[in-house]
Amino acid sequence: MTTDMISVVKVRDILLVTIPADPDDGTVCALQEKVLQAMMRYDARGLILDIAMVETLDSFFARTLAETSRMVALMGGRTVIAGMRPSVAITTTQLGMTLGTIASTLNVDRALDLLSRFGERRILE
Amino acid sequence: MISAEQGTAPVASESDIVTVRKISREMATQMGFGITDVTRIVTAVSELARNIYRYAGTGIMQWQIINRNGIQGIELSFVDQGPGIPDLALALQPGYTSSDGLGMGLPGSKRLMDELEIESEIGTGTTVTIRKWLRGTSY
Repeated sequence: MTTDMISVVKVRDILLVTIPADPDDGTVCALQEKVLQAMMRYDARGLILDIAMVETLDSFFARTLAETSRMVALMGGRTVIAGMRPSVAITTTQLGMTLGTIASTLNVDRALDLLSRFGERRILE
Repeated sequence: MISAEQGTAPVASESDIVTVRKISREMATQMGFGITDVTRIVTAVSELARNIYRYAGTGIMQWQIINRNGIQGIELSFVDQGPGIPDLALALQPGYTSSDGLGMGLPGSKRLMDELEIESEIGTGTTVTIRKWLRGTSY
């Protein structure tokens, strides 16, 4: 599997990344770099990681997602994880993982809402 | 399709980790486990296969359908000839890690499965066996 299979779409100033169902470790690492490069190239303010297709979120994958979110934060962006399946949410919690401080939403729609609200608040401030 | 009731697969590369995840997913699904149990099993498989790849380099996963008192279960063993685990009690402690992991591989897998057993000898290798029963202790 290569990162060519990972779709990165820009919606306004937000990057929408769809994570494939069962990526290997190399793909997960490559994804991180691809996303960070895209943040800069597209002058993005936010990142949505759509994990609706992901059936297995093990500790390596979860740690890489949490790390990516911290890296994006260093670049001034905000990350939202969208679409976690119920079975993945149960397993992730029982495995003892946390995704740190990353926000998560039920789906991409709500992630867009959340990020746009964050943008408004920033303008008001 | 995994039609055999038992088998062996190598764990020696990152793509092998993906393969053993697929094998265990197909097998657990065919046996009739629900989606949440399938996810638990596959996630534990991913953790234990990665342990082999990270600590021992190479090893195998053996799987079989088992019966105990008329209840069907899935049994998966992760066998390596790696360095062994010096302190098993410590390795099973949540939060403990000897590498860059999050320290939830073994204790986490134990929580996800009905049973987890470890045999380990320094310099000889490690075998971790996990089981889940179709009428499991957890929902």
